[in-house]
Amino acid sequence: MINDSLLWQVRHFVYNHFADTTLPPSVDEAARHFNISTEEASALYKELHNRHAFFLEPDMPSIRMAWPFSAIPTDFKVHANDKTYYANCAWDMLGIPVVLHADAVIEARFTESNELVQLEIKNGNIALAAVPGGEDAALSKLRVHFPLPFARWYDDLVFT
Amino acid sequence: MLLFRSEEWIDKWCQRNNLERGEVLTINQVWELSKPWYYNRLSLDYHGRSMEQVAEVFKQAGLVSKFWYIQR
Repeated sequence: MINDSLLWQVRHFVYNHFADTTLPPSVDEAARHFNISTEEASALYKELHNRHAFFLEPDMPSIRMAWPFSAIPTDFKVHANDKTYYANCAWDMLGIPVVLHADAVIEARFTESNELVQLEIKNGNIALAAVPGGEDAALSKLRVHFPLPFARWYDDLVFT
Repeated sequence: MLLFRSEEWIDKWCQRNNLERGEVLTINQVWELSKPWYYNRLSLDYHGRSMEQVAEVFKQAGLVSKFWYIQR
């Protein structure tokens, strides 16, 4: 039987741990924090995964994504609050400064053209800070591609 | 969701990977979408969104095409 109050406290702990440290807590860290067994913490992680609160690695209670944060390096690096975070995708790289309520510098890689681009979030506005060799580069030309319709996002989260 | 330098590069990527083109938004559209989507994610009170709340966020961002329908 899942304790709903504890469940949402665990979600809160995971997200704030990510924000504070740039990484998710292990299931053992969550167990210690809440003074519960590893098995109980693991069951809560699985329940939160099932409720799409975050996404676990296949067959293990290890967090891969707690949107917008990624536990593994990606092409979307976000510098904010003197820390460096990884975002899951081009949408999430913009979500990190929103979640943190902070200014940020984003280093990302364009898909297909494979160039690095730097974006700056300052006082709630977005600007293009740097893109190499691009006379034609402009913020207004940048695009984000959503490959799957919303109804299918959770079919394959890594692809989405 | 991937970041592209321009529309043309999306077409090249889709062609090379034999994928259908999905929905394409400007970076400013995604930035505006990020604000209502993520602003309260660190709150203890955030327990996810109902499908109706998701639909409202999309609607407020002007995303009303079939691509953004919430029904499976």
